[in-house]
Amino acid sequence: MNELTNRLKVDFDASEITERKPGLTTLKVAKDKAETLIRELRDREGFTHLNFMTCIDYIEDGIFTLVYMLHNYEQKQTLGIHVDIGRDGEEMVSIHHLWAQAWTYQRELREAYGIRFPGSPRLDEDFVLEGWDQIPPMRREFDTQKFSEERFGHREGRQSEVPRDHMKVTLYPNRGGDEQ
Amino acid sequence: MTQSTGHSASLDFTQPEPVDLSSGKYVKLWQGPQHPGITGNMSLELVLDGDTIIECKTHVGYLHRAFEKLMERRNYIQNFTVVCRIAVPEPTFNEYLYSAAVEELSGIEVPERAIWLRTMNLELMRLASFLMWIGGISGAFGKYTVPNWTLAYRDYVLDLFEEMTGARIYHMYIVPGGVRAGMPEGFEERARAIMDGADKLLDQIERVLFNNVVFKARSKGLGIITPDMVDPYGIVGPNARACGFARDLRKDEPYLAYDQLDFDIVTGNEPDAYGRAYCRLLETRQSINLIRQCLERTPTDGPFQADMPNVLHWKIPPGETYVKAECTRGEYGYYMVSDGSEYVRRVHVRGPSYTHAIAVMERLAVGTNIADIAGLMVSLHTYPPEIER
Amino acid sequence: MNLKDLLSPFFVWQRAFEKPYTSMRPTIDRPGAPAYRGFHINVAETCVGCGSCHTICQNHAIDMVPVEQFQGRPGDSGLRPRFDYGRCCWCGLCVDICTAASLRMSNEYAWITEDPTEFHFTAGVDDKAWQDNEHGYRRAEGYHLYPPKRIEMDMLSPEESVQSFDEVARGYNEEQAKKEADRCVECGICVATCPAHMDVPDYIHSIRDGDYEKGLQLMYRTNPFPATCGRICTRRCESVCPVGILGEPVAIRWLKRFIVDQVDAGEYTRILNNDAVVESGHRVAIIGAGPGGLSAAYYLRQYGHAVSVFEAQASAGGMLRYGVPSYRLPDADLDKDIEYIVSLGVEMNYNTRIGKDISFEQLLQDYDAVFLSTGLSVPSSMRIQGEDHPRVLSGLQVLADVANGRDPGIGRKVAVIGGGNVAMDASRVSRRLGGDVTILYRRRIADMPADTEEIHESQEEGCTIVPQAIPVEIVDAADSSQVTIKWGEAEMVQDPKGGRPRPVLQEDRMHEESYDCIISAIGQGSNLDYLSREIQDQLAIEWGKFSPGEYQHTGLARVFVGGDVANRTADAISAIEDGHHAARGINRFLNPDAYPNNNTSPDTTRSEGEQQ
Repeated sequence: MNELTNRLKVDFDASEITERKPGLTTLKVAKDKAETLIRELRDREGFTHLNFMTCIDYIEDGIFTLVYMLHNYEQKQTLGIHVDIGRDGEEMVSIHHLWAQAWTYQRELREAYGIRFPGSPRLDEDFVLEGWDQIPPMRREFDTQKFSEERFGHREGRQSEVPRDHMKVTLYPNRGGDEQ
Repeated sequence: MTQSTGHSASLDFTQPEPVDLSSGKYVKLWQGPQHPGITGNMSLELVLDGDTIIECKTHVGYLHRAFEKLMERRNYIQNFTVVCRIAVPEPTFNEYLYSAAVEELSGIEVPERAIWLRTMNLELMRLASFLMWIGGISGAFGKYTVPNWTLAYRDYVLDLFEEMTGARIYHMYIVPGGVRAGMPEGFEERARAIMDGADKLLDQIERVLFNNVVFKARSKGLGIITPDMVDPYGIVGPNARACGFARDLRKDEPYLAYDQLDFDIVTGNEPDAYGRAYCRLLETRQSINLIRQCLERTPTDGPFQADMPNVLHWKIPPGETYVKAECTRGEYGYYMVSDGSEYVRRVHVRGPSYTHAIAVMERLAVGTNIADIAGLMVSLHTYPPEIER
Repeated sequence: MNLKDLLSPFFVWQRAFEKPYTSMRPTIDRPGAPAYRGFHINVAETCVGCGSCHTICQNHAIDMVPVEQFQGRPGDSGLRPRFDYGRCCWCGLCVDICTAASLRMSNEYAWITEDPTEFHFTAGVDDKAWQDNEHGYRRAEGYHLYPPKRIEMDMLSPEESVQSFDEVARGYNEEQAKKEADRCVECGICVATCPAHMDVPDYIHSIRDGDYEKGLQLMYRTNPFPATCGRICTRRCESVCPVGILGEPVAIRWLKRFIVDQVDAGEYTRILNNDAVVESGHRVAIIGAGPGGLSAAYYLRQYGHAVSVFEAQASAGGMLRYGVPSYRLPDADLDKDIEYIVSLGVEMNYNTRIGKDISFEQLLQDYDAVFLSTGLSVPSSMRIQGEDHPRVLSGLQVLADVANGRDPGIGRKVAVIGGGNVAMDASRVSRRLGGDVTILYRRRIADMPADTEEIHESQEEGCTIVPQAIPVEIVDAADSSQVTIKWGEAEMVQDPKGGRPRPVLQEDRMHEESYDCIISAIGQGSNLDYLSREIQDQLAIEWGKFSPGEYQHTGLARVFVGGDVANRTADAISAIEDGHHAARGINRFLNPDAYPNNNTSPDTTRSEGEQQ
């Protein structure tokens, strides 16, 4: 594995190479090198299995980290490829031609995060959210609680007290840290 | 059949041109989303030429509850009650993988007793799930006797779950740090009796279903997965093993107590609906055998939970991991990213159905007779909630 | 196609004669498994209303609601969990986290009603058929969602500790403190019980965050003696901590100490930011520089009032300095608290005894208000013959001598009379001075008013406790440097009225023993000689103690009281709260315009509690 990651460092400027546990390594690669790197891993290094493809929203840094998890059955090694892209409308190179299920992942990422993969088939078809008119829901700024509060009511008569505050009001209203 | 190592670049993944429905030569038919079977709520948009399917599109979303999003807003212990819902017939794999990911990131070592209790639970789950599936495949070909047997017998296995975990479906038993309780008193004998009964039941099913001329005629040759499809389509589990791939995470990358259990990978050489069904029958038997081994070897005393921090404000060091386990349908995985806070940054749940029910299904359906589409669906053994998460 | 495949399916007929799997409902009842997670049961009498179930419920299915039968009291918020079965998923985490183990589940799973609002109930309060079900899910033995055991404090071994006056408890390191802080469930039930109502969960939270400056700020909101209380507080909070019901309570005192130990005294001014005080022009006199007086001084300075403290001794601290030995509270830590208070511009007048150096009436004339906190400084009498023997010393005197660096002259063989903290302190101090110590106490060890930890540690350090021993007479010993005590064994006799058992002297079992000295430590009383008879009458003093009003005020306008001389608990933290509360009262008195919602001279608040 070391030999391979060293080569990826030289040939693809792979960075942040981290062994997460025996058999699982992650590395970061620039967006424009990702497709070539993944294709080479698939065709020449035995990483024939795409475990999954996903995205992590780092809203505080303004980036999406795309994760391609590849597996080599022979060597029992898994390699996570991280690719950072801008959060606001930046496109990513499609890998639908490399695995049959890749377009589904890309379609999901378009729906859940709003990431575009030009050339990926059926990219704009609804995946799980038919008729969704809000911002892509997996983006961190989408507030599920607010969404549900706006749509669904509460049962009548629900009210909860905080033990500490309740005790202050009932047992020692004029004392404690808050100035009266 | 030989095991392919390289990746076949010759397969063409391009989507077919949509047919012209206005020509009046074709019929569009929706199959689902209700299914009186075990496929869950999923629908197939089919285009027929006569009674032959020429185009298939899978639609999911009917069971979407945004689990991955919910997990980002709940703390680590609260999520444990959410994950079981991601695969209704097999909640335990979710419980285990969620817990394993949390434990890996937080450096918790699970005690020996919990490891065995977890292993036994996972195998009981496999048995329950396969019993349900056998009923499903039988029903999908119009044979409604076997489903009555297997679904009822599955309830005996659920009785065991009820006894051990306190619930029949959403067990919520495997918790980060260990399990919630040990084996109840007398559990071993009752479990053994149910295993013996299950053996008998499978014998009967083999006679009634697998040696049934109609079942054979309809399932053999249906939905053939060729070995060169396996990696390009991400096919795993019995679907891959039925065409000769000896891949099983329990053997290849053993977790829990599997390296201490005696079993061999089941493989087949008939990559069609029948071959896959038969593979699963053998794996059901194998599961019963593994449960017996677990019953014998699970320690009855000692801790079943690691020393835990206070879960009410549990923070996990930054990091990421991918953990996987062999569920009934193949590689099930949890990818977890922690940013050091009390809330998980990202969980991605990888279920085998993601590709089996979409990319694989859409390809295998083409050319199939409309009468066989339900059988084909069930033969791929898919659960939509793990696609939609 | 072979014939076998054609015939094989007909095997199904064989099953026609088998017993069916299903059972008839409702003729045959099918109870849930013994550990089934069915409907909730709460033993409402055991529940303390900590709300951990509410906190852990990811479905927001649990509300904490007031219940008529249970009023809030120390250790019980008076709230009980109410379940909304429209949201519950029966995961049972509420049962797992329940600090009192009062919450569990029954194995009942069928509940049929036409009124959906019924699926919303207060378990254990609303009558439900399954409340007394013996089966159902409960937390398994050995399964915890928070660590039940506290992190051990490093202590000097008894062999080491008796060698010097070095502090016995060594303090938590950061890792230990964070682990201990992690055990807090943040219910806040302790806050009501703490006499000063310190923001305990909040400063513990600041430890988990590693933000000790914030922790210090939180502590100073209610207590300007955190370094002291972090060491010697009587910690009533820990006795009500729900984590202590099934395990050991959170070590609140040690955590408080940890925060103070992390912050350098030189940083206090910056962190606590007391520069912003606006001077009010009012002047307040404080008599007694103990915890009560200085606490009042601190909070009065926050209000901008000028403060003068009058102290008879040469240093501030009162009982904390002269009564608490330095192996429990090192001088440096006491000084850390005191020096910060003084640094806020408090005028200190040491060696100034009211009634001698300056009269009380003079103070009333010179200041806008006076706060009295003169403590209990006079040893109580044993009321036996010969107690004025020169070899009979008072515990307070021994402790004060040691604090002042003088030799109390105890000799080698020492008897200590009493079972309170002063007796334990005097005993352990005597051990450190090389004495062999025997403690004589009237009742049983379990009845001793001293802190259990103190009793335990004094035994570990080699003090011998003789319980049920009543001193009868003190006489000269054969050796003129010694003294002889005659004491008799006592039997505990039940009080017919139901009070605590009373020791009764057994005159046929008398003992006699000679010692180098006898240290009497059976209690203290007040010395209020500095107040004239006339003023004492106006202040309503009974048995040498004040009974102050709601705002620590007295019958004499402008005079406020607090500390041991005015409360029953007679511990540092109560004195601190008295001082704080008196500061509030004085401010209300001096600044009535700042409280528009009250018609507020404290006098009017005496009988009717105020609303905020």
